[in-house]
Amino acid sequence: MSDIPDASDLLAAARDALLRELLPALPGDRRYAGLMIANAIAIADREHRSGGDALREETSRLRELLASVTGSAAPQDAVQASLVTGSSGSSATAAALRRALAAAIRAGAFDVPPQHDALVAHLRRTSADWTAISNPKALHERWRSPSSQGTVPPFASRNFSGGQS
Amino acid sequence: MPGTATPEARGIAAWLVREMQAREVRICRYERLSGGAIQGNFALDVEVVGGPYAGPQALVLRTDAPSGVAASLTRAQEFDVLRVAHRAGVLAPEPLFLCRDPAIIGRQFFVMRRLAGVGAGHKLVRDVALVPDGPALARELGANLGRIHALKPPQPGLDALPPPPADPARATIAQCRGYLDAMDDAHPGLEWGLRWCELHAPASAEVTLVHRDYRTGNYLVDAGHLSGVLDWEFAGWGDPREDLGWFTARCWRFGANDREAGGIASAADFLQGYESTAKRVITRGDLDYWQVMAHLRWAMIALQQARRHLVGGETSLELALTGRIVHDLEYEILHLSEGAAR
Repeated sequence: MSDIPDASDLLAAARDALLRELLPALPGDRRYAGLMIANAIAIADREHRSGGDALREETSRLRELLASVTGSAAPQDAVQASLVTGSSGSSATAAALRRALAAAIRAGAFDVPPQHDALVAHLRRTSADWTAISNPKALHERWRSPSSQGTVPPFASRNFSGGQS
Repeated sequence: MPGTATPEARGIAAWLVREMQAREVRICRYERLSGGAIQGNFALDVEVVGGPYAGPQALVLRTDAPSGVAASLTRAQEFDVLRVAHRAGVLAPEPLFLCRDPAIIGRQFFVMRRLAGVGAGHKLVRDVALVPDGPALARELGANLGRIHALKPPQPGLDALPPPPADPARATIAQCRGYLDAMDDAHPGLEWGLRWCELHAPASAEVTLVHRDYRTGNYLVDAGHLSGVLDWEFAGWGDPREDLGWFTARCWRFGANDREAGGIASAADFLQGYESTAKRVITRGDLDYWQVMAHLRWAMIALQQARRHLVGGETSLELALTGRIVHDLEYEILHLSEGAAR
């Protein structure tokens, strides 16, 4: 805890004020706009809390994946350039690595095991982490669905308490 | 500008007098309808004096929003499609008049009859009073889609559509890759979905007219029955199975995920109706493949919507939030393509 409310505190308080004080007073045709604003605040709060971790972990997985296809069908220029530039956790680095991965996928470098399995594991984890920020309800639904019983949610080890509302 | 006494309304009234061969047309209501992030739809109530349309008429005026999404038809093309479909017995609004003259409201538009009913997907999937018999409604929706898919090229009146693709699945994949290449960022999850679709591409089916946005939220239900399918701006020639994947895709069930056919009923009910008019058998594999494609196409549209907000000069929270669903769609694409879903 700190003495001064941080960004998350402000976002949570702003959302609370919107939902409790403003939304009930809005005319019916403005209700949807009010709910959209509440949703945007919730996403911004979750991204503020866990977006940095998600990005750092995605970046390090991207490096591993791309290193595993050097010398393969992947476009080597893109792969090499992406592996040497930038610091982990910066969005510019992640963007360069994603570009290299996208090009390698399109070139067929991940069509068969073991690269295929590593790619799918990475993409599942990445899309789950970002879905946990953008729309956590979508993940919760899938845990409850009969076909996914027994599978561990890919981000179970992380604390996403900000997104459980 | 909407409103009944604006110069724009007077221009529309004068244009309708000519089109309807009327003595006079009075505009009683002219206001934006909710929904439709891409096109502008306006409710237009008129009182017609004289001519074949004499009397009160409830219409919709449909025009382009300031910046459209790629791959949507012009209003003139959409008017053609609607006319051909309506004449073939497809339940859809009857198109009346097309205005190519940009001087009247600043853009092309057309006018169609306004259908009764509720369209909001989140209401239809939850409110039993609106949909007392989901399986029956799903059969009607299936049969209606089958009537669209009975329209094959070449088709009189549809010469203005882009020519039918030789291999619709691969053409869609190429088109999606083109969209991704025009984006600022790469999207590996979507890229993998496209590669998966390429590796698992089905043998080509017969090319038919496809609606490409046939889903809950885009049709009206009146007294429990389908009154018509709206929003034809993405229609064209393609693989009919694309529409079936789109209709049944999880992203269009409005949270009613255990009812695969648009949150309304089971896929079996929908397909029973479909097969009664389409004379075509759809397999589980077809649905799975085209549901992956559906999520990919929706992701492309969502990215384009987000760009309208980010760089297109249309600041909009709704468009911005649409961009955020791409994560969810990628997650679903992986589940479907790797066989872990449903």
